[in-house]
Amino acid sequence: MDKTTIICRCEEISCEEVEEVISNGGRTFDDVKRITRCGMGPCQAKICTSMVAEIIHQQTGLSLSEIPLPRMRMPLSPIKLETLATNSTSFSAVKSVLDDVEIEEGKVR
Amino acid sequence: METNYETIVIGGGVVGSGIAYHLSERYKEGVLVLDKKYPMSGTSGSTQAWVWVHNKTPSWYAEFSMYSAELYPYLSKKIGDVEYKRTGGLSPFFNESDREKAEKLAESYRKIGIKIKVLSREEVLEKEPYMNPEVAGATYSSIDGNVNPFRLIDMYMRAAKRNGVRYSTYNKVTEIKKHDGKYAVVSDNGAFECKNLILAGGTWSREIGDMLGVKIPVNQLRGQILVSEPLKPFLNFTISGLRQANNGEVLMGYSMEEAGFNRATTLDVIQETANMAVQYVPGLRKAKIVRAFSGIRAMPEDGFPILGKVPGHENLYVAATHSGVTLSPLIGTLITELIMDGETSIPIDRYSLSRFG
Ligand SMILES: Cc1cc2nc3c(=O)[nH]c(=O)nc-3n(C[C@H](O)[C@H](O)[C@H](O)COP(=O)(O)OP(=O)(O)OC[C@H]3O[C@@H](n4cnc5c(N)ncnc54)[C@H](O)[C@@H]3O)c2cc1C
Ligand code: FES
Repeated sequence: MDKTTIICRCEEISCEEVEEVISNGGRTFDDVKRITRCGMGPCQAKICTSMVAEIIHQQTGLSLSEIPLPRMRMPLSPIKLETLATNSTSFSAVKSVLDDVEIEEGKVR
Repeated sequence: METNYETIVIGGGVVGSGIAYHLSERYKEGVLVLDKKYPMSGTSGSTQAWVWVHNKTPSWYAEFSMYSAELYPYLSKKIGDVEYKRTGGLSPFFNESDREKAEKLAESYRKIGIKIKVLSREEVLEKEPYMNPEVAGATYSSIDGNVNPFRLIDMYMRAAKRNGVRYSTYNKVTEIKKHDGKYAVVSDNGAFECKNLILAGGTWSREIGDMLGVKIPVNQLRGQILVSEPLKPFLNFTISGLRQANNGEVLMGYSMEEAGFNRATTLDVIQETANMAVQYVPGLRKAKIVRAFSGIRAMPEDGFPILGKVPGHENLYVAATHSGVTLSPLIGTLITELIMDGETSIPIDRYSLSRFG
């Protein structure tokens, strides 16, 4: 791999960019992801995971088993928002910022 | 590695790195930031990152937030492009009965210089054409916006390092001792000594305080966010509930749950969040969700920032807050003033830890 080799095809992140994160103190796939967006593309890191792990291994000397995999988040493959929605408009955990505004004696608290 | 520092900051999130950067503008040597992981692995990497002001309450807290938002354009000139956008902020309501409350808010805040407009349904739709036509109205202010939190921390760190700040990452602080007027900070990779110690451990503040016998009453409050595939730009404003990032992704969510340090995403809150998003912007129905994430807010017991000197401990400072993205430029500025000048340009007494008794 040379410096310009593309590691993440979805986000077009080069080897050099991944290496910079590690040399600044990053150690995990998620550190690389947050700084470069490597792994946030449509394939959600399916293609780039192993190459990033290899670079971390080479630069830090950590064994591959010590390098945590990217945190896999629901949904594992893209899904339409309407599939998740249940069309209810009553909320409990989800808030509206105006709910927090309290009026007391005609004035904002 | 050098073990003697003038100042050590524990925690390199948006609050700790913001302080370290602002300190480095005033003195070039002797600042160390310790983080148990890499900055952004805490709450600052799992946030909506609105720079939000207009409907914070009470008014003195909104005013405080406004001063911080005002610092953003200058900050991005100094440290580089952090993708700060003053989009204006829109808080929709769906019941006409909320209008009176909105008017009261606008009236009270005019006095402190925060201009809020209460929009009619037509005005909302004119500003944000993809908003649900069933909306009743919205509060609007041009002061609100958003920032890219990853770029923000990365730029803070780069600028701080250029000014001589050292970072030690993957280095957890396990013990803090006080002797001869100095602090000895014991970490996984050795012990450090400093005169000034700043606790910026976010949602972990309580356990860091315990190391010194100081009670920092910060609790955990989880929030979950859904992220869409990149969509062509179609949302103009930061809507309290969702926003479109520079790369086209829409980040949706404004939820609060007590779940300790558990960073799981859960189907019930994901569904509620989806319901909120389609209620606000029905056109999102067909958008594909590529990711969900959750973060744990640092929530002080009374809901307000804890900032400033720790009473009874010389040269010990604390900065723990929710809305840390909004507040970081101001917190960095004020803590730096406190350390360098012994006083702050705007009063922060009401944010003192001493209020908890
Ligand atoms: C879902 C969600 C949405 C949000 N939306 C917004 C928003 O729109 N606008 C806004 O302004 N705010 C928002 N927030 C809040 C905001 O993200 C936080 O207030 C902010 O990130 C806190 O920054 P911090 O630096 O205090 O915390 P963190 O980023 O968590 O930093 C604390 C650091 O301390 C380190 N640390 C902890 N213990 C130790 C130890 N013993 N030794 C060494 N290091 C240690 C951690 O590793 C961590 O990096 C949101 C939060 C969530 C969860
Ligand atoms: S190749 Fe990296 S996200 Fe697809």
